[in-house]
Amino acid sequence: MPGDRLRRVLAELSDGESMWPAARLCAVGPRITGANGVGVMLMSGDIPSGSLCSSDEVSQLIEDLQYTLGEGPCVEAYQNDKIVSEPDLADPQTHRWFAFTPPALKAGVRAVFGFPLRVGTVRLGALNLYRDRPGELTAEQHADALVLADMTARWVLDAQAGAPSGVVAEALEAGADFHFAVHNAAGIVSVQEGITITEALIRLRAFAYSNDRPLADVAQDVVAHRLRLG
Amino acid sequence: MTRESDVVHSLVEMADTLVDDYDVVDLLTGLTDRCVSLLAVSAAGVMLATPTGSLGLVASSSEAMRLLELFELQQQEGPCLDAFRSGERIHESLTAGSGRWPRFSTAAGRAGFQSVVALPLRLRDVTLGALNLLSTSRSPMAEADIIVARAFADLAALSILQHRASTEAQRLNEQLSAALTSRIVIEQAKGVISERVGIDLAEAFARLRAYARNANLRLTDVAQAAVDGTLDPRAWTAPARN
Repeated sequence: MPGDRLRRVLAELSDGESMWPAARLCAVGPRITGANGVGVMLMSGDIPSGSLCSSDEVSQLIEDLQYTLGEGPCVEAYQNDKIVSEPDLADPQTHRWFAFTPPALKAGVRAVFGFPLRVGTVRLGALNLYRDRPGELTAEQHADALVLADMTARWVLDAQAGAPSGVVAEALEAGADFHFAVHNAAGIVSVQEGITITEALIRLRAFAYSNDRPLADVAQDVVAHRLRLG
Repeated sequence: MTRESDVVHSLVEMADTLVDDYDVVDLLTGLTDRCVSLLAVSAAGVMLATPTGSLGLVASSSEAMRLLELFELQQQEGPCLDAFRSGERIHESLTAGSGRWPRFSTAAGRAGFQSVVALPLRLRDVTLGALNLLSTSRSPMAEADIIVARAFADLAALSILQHRASTEAQRLNEQLSAALTSRIVIEQAKGVISERVGIDLAEAFARLRAYARNANLRLTDVAQAAVDGTLDPRAWTAPARN
């Protein structure tokens, strides 16, 4: 019964409370979906705006890689508005995500799945699941992930409904990572190099990618004046 | 085609228009046309509740129907209003100057209408509006026709609710995007000012905010100007006052 599935997922999420924190969405995600880890990425326009939550370090890396590189399961699920399933990233036949795949594999990710977050025709981002061994999701896990993605999308809009206009809801910001340090760093680099903010963001991403470092770390170093691009 | 297949065909067609973006007025106008072509009625109209709770006219199958419904709203008496208020189906013959709605019956009679069925557009406990069906015949509408009208009304109610939920989701999503964008521009401006002046990010933010307050400008606009390089240098030279 579809109603039973919804009730089961809701029971896991709410734990008796009417409004649960975003962190719970990711914390209970692996148990609900049978994945090793889950993460929720919010998108704005066609680019990632940040991570709402992630269940573990590997999931956080999956989110960070996508934020840095602009490609990966969440970005693709969101942009194509379709479920993305990559049951074996190590398969040589897999030519998906040229930049995302090598560091993801190195971190122990073998299979990744992206589920669009949507309410009606409104698209908000994507939920990603990963596993440390290859293989498709079972039909049950797939259905559970769909319900979790649906609950998450509604959660995001419900949370924002309580916020004054022009302000990101507190419940959304708590625990989320909107990479504000990257934007601080972009401001700094734009002054240092006499370039626009957009160019500065590209320079930061390029530096992170070519030095095989997370964008967030590079940004922290720029903000602390430990690093100067140039 | 048989009537049954016409009805099924109409329901499927209406359901099809619910996919993705659709116009509620178009959908309801289509509904009134279908009522006239498939049921033994001469005219159909739909009224919907406005946010303040009063009814407004949304769709009519003909000009005569539109005028009659406007009359009903002006006079605040008639079958659509009663169906909406009570949430119950209304089924009456009309006699000019008498019955439940004497003024409405007179106006309806002048347009040639002699009986009326009004159905609330309802989903569970929520009444969204009402569907008015008028006939030039005095004989009561067949129960089979009322069942078809009920199915049309239910689908219309569902489509209206779905459309409202979707519009609300759209609004919230845009609000969230705008709020995030504004936050991002402020973070970028903090970086710009801190680097120009040689101060930390917190001090840069304090100066930005103090300047916006004193100049009576929106913080986001000041931040955008800082990022674009068009901000008055006084914005960052003066230490922030508390």
